[in-house]
Amino acid sequence: MPDSDVVAAAKKRLEESGLPSDWLDAPVHWGVKAKEQATPENGGLRFEYLNVDVYGEVPEVWQNNTEIPRGAIPDTRTEQMGYSIFNKAEVWSDLCAGLYEDAIADRWNSSADIPWDTLEPIGSDLERAVCQIATLMSEYGWTKAQTTGRWLQEISYGYIEVKLFLGTVVFDGARLYEVWRKRALANGGGLGRGGRNWKFLPLTQSYTFSEFCVASIMHDSMLLALLRHGEQLAQTEAERSIYELCQKDIERHLAYFVDHMRYLMLKEPVRREEIHRYMNKAEWYLAKDGDDTLYSALAVVMGDGREGAEEAMVDVAELRREQVETYLGYLRQCHLGDREDRLNEELRKWAGIAPEEEVEKIPV
Amino acid sequence: MVTVDKLEEMRLEPEVPELDLSWLNLDTEWGVSAEPGRKGLTLQQINKSLYGDIPATSEDSSARPRGAAAPEGATPRMTPWVLGDATETFSDSAALLYDEAVSRQWSSATDIPWDTLDELPEDIERAMAQLCTSLTEVEFIAGDVPGKWLPRIAADHFESGLFLMSQVMDEARHTDVFRKRALANGGGLLLQGGGGGLRQILEAEDFTQMSSMLHILGEGFVQSLFRLGELIAHNEAEKRIFRLAAQDESRHVAYGVTHLKYTLENDPDKAEEVHWTLDMFEDTLVDPDQANPGLAGALVYLLGDGDVDEGWRLFWHVRRKQVLEYLHRLDVAGLGGRLETGRLHPALSGALDEN
Repeated sequence: MPDSDVVAAAKKRLEESGLPSDWLDAPVHWGVKAKEQATPENGGLRFEYLNVDVYGEVPEVWQNNTEIPRGAIPDTRTEQMGYSIFNKAEVWSDLCAGLYEDAIADRWNSSADIPWDTLEPIGSDLERAVCQIATLMSEYGWTKAQTTGRWLQEISYGYIEVKLFLGTVVFDGARLYEVWRKRALANGGGLGRGGRNWKFLPLTQSYTFSEFCVASIMHDSMLLALLRHGEQLAQTEAERSIYELCQKDIERHLAYFVDHMRYLMLKEPVRREEIHRYMNKAEWYLAKDGDDTLYSALAVVMGDGREGAEEAMVDVAELRREQVETYLGYLRQCHLGDREDRLNEELRKWAGIAPEEEVEKIPV
Repeated sequence: MVTVDKLEEMRLEPEVPELDLSWLNLDTEWGVSAEPGRKGLTLQQINKSLYGDIPATSEDSSARPRGAAAPEGATPRMTPWVLGDATETFSDSAALLYDEAVSRQWSSATDIPWDTLDELPEDIERAMAQLCTSLTEVEFIAGDVPGKWLPRIAADHFESGLFLMSQVMDEARHTDVFRKRALANGGGLLLQGGGGGLRQILEAEDFTQMSSMLHILGEGFVQSLFRLGELIAHNEAEKRIFRLAAQDESRHVAYGVTHLKYTLENDPDKAEEVHWTLDMFEDTLVDPDQANPGLAGALVYLLGDGDVDEGWRLFWHVRRKQVLEYLHRLDVAGLGGRLETGRLHPALSGALDEN
């Protein structure tokens, strides 16, 4: 119970010194003690444990356009800070707080956690191919961090868990960028050719966070399918570690994006067609980008050199099919299973799915 | 609805991508390699040869890593504009600071000894809760700001971009740890701070102006305060929070100082613009109408452990240290003389006279 005598005496002392004392008897929600859950078995004091009492009430609509912490008492003099997202459905996932803590617990350091000393000469074609892949991976890391970062200034403190998690996505993007840059520059190869970047426009141009999310689901799921082939693609233990660690990061990002889209589809099913339009756009840009250097570099790696590349293209095609399947699989998880019927025609070819007009001929 | 079985029957062989091996014969630099050192393979170690050449200007708005060959065919503009002039964002220390940020990440869940938070007297608990309310608020904006600037950083100047990305992470953790402290021990979140200049940092449309406000003055003051965290803390958990947060803030301040130094060395005309920005921001920071009503009171109360007179004495000790360190940072950056020329706000220069 609050000790009113202690507070009253403190107020008096402050007022005698001309200091503001309102904070001492502000109508605070006294007695929330999140520390009680902070045991080693519970993973310490995780952010999820703070969400008790009024502090855990995440409103459907957040009314305040300042930086006021959720649960604090507003100061009406504060200027508006220019946030634009006040709707829980637009950003929310119940997983955010946990994923944020997981990201921190799983943190890694590209300088020290990759066994760089296992890199060894692998022949110039292979080295160039690995470096070409690394160059394109770096590009995506950079884009991911930049485009995710831009949404931070749009999201208000009402959805603090989302912002904290997106902070880890930005940082993971930085690491995705630099670990692959390091790989390209560590073993004699150097950077390859940059990508055309058309495929990234749905990320950079997104007007709504939902649009950004579905474009991220597409890019991340396709990247994940590729990273899962790390064992096959890695030439050394160093690369194997890079594939594994990046995979874990991207899985976490997808867990959020997918759970958020699932939430959005449940809360605002009326937006389904709008979301399909964003996917139309993201897929169109990806298909039209027409940059085959990634798949050609993969073929050189899988074919163990340029001589085997032609033959390895069949395996690369299979990998690309898996990428589309992985993307569709994640969409099914967020109640967007109808996407397969509407998938971009080029991506249907990548996945070996019959053209839409052929499917339509099947008797129902 | 078409059945899954039916669709499976209609599965085709996936289309085979076109094989294009033109990238095998690029005219990029071959033979550059790097050996891991004592701290592993850092950015500094790979910044070699042409890959370490930092262009003074960059017109590339794409994500192409510095040193990579340009793609064939048409490429889009990724962002309406980038800060292509290195003087606008670069810092010679950015790569080092990023490496350090990565190696010094910490977890507010497990690296703070939360079990050392004992029951505190209500007045002290409230004061700490108020301080942490204000700090989680400040750190929240400190994460928004670098996020806003990220799309404008040229990939050719990626070192600054990476540093800002690490700052986003640091500020998330600070927002989080101060919220945790407020809610960990019975206090709760108290009064919002009322702005206190945060809006000026957010709305700045010039990177160097923003950085002068955020990194040098704003975070500089916060870092000076955190380094005196021993005076505020009542237990090991709070001491650790201030110590770890101060370590992070040191990097942010160092980036701001080295960026300003780089800018002024390469574009001395920028000095007056930065002075003007600091005139405005100092004025905001000491403006009673902008002041955070809870922060000052709570800070004084904590510094004196309930003894307001002693708290005031220590408050001026902290403020003096903040101002001295601020002036020293400006000196290092090449923007000395604010005190000597009478340009420093009187409320701050006055703090230097206090005992």
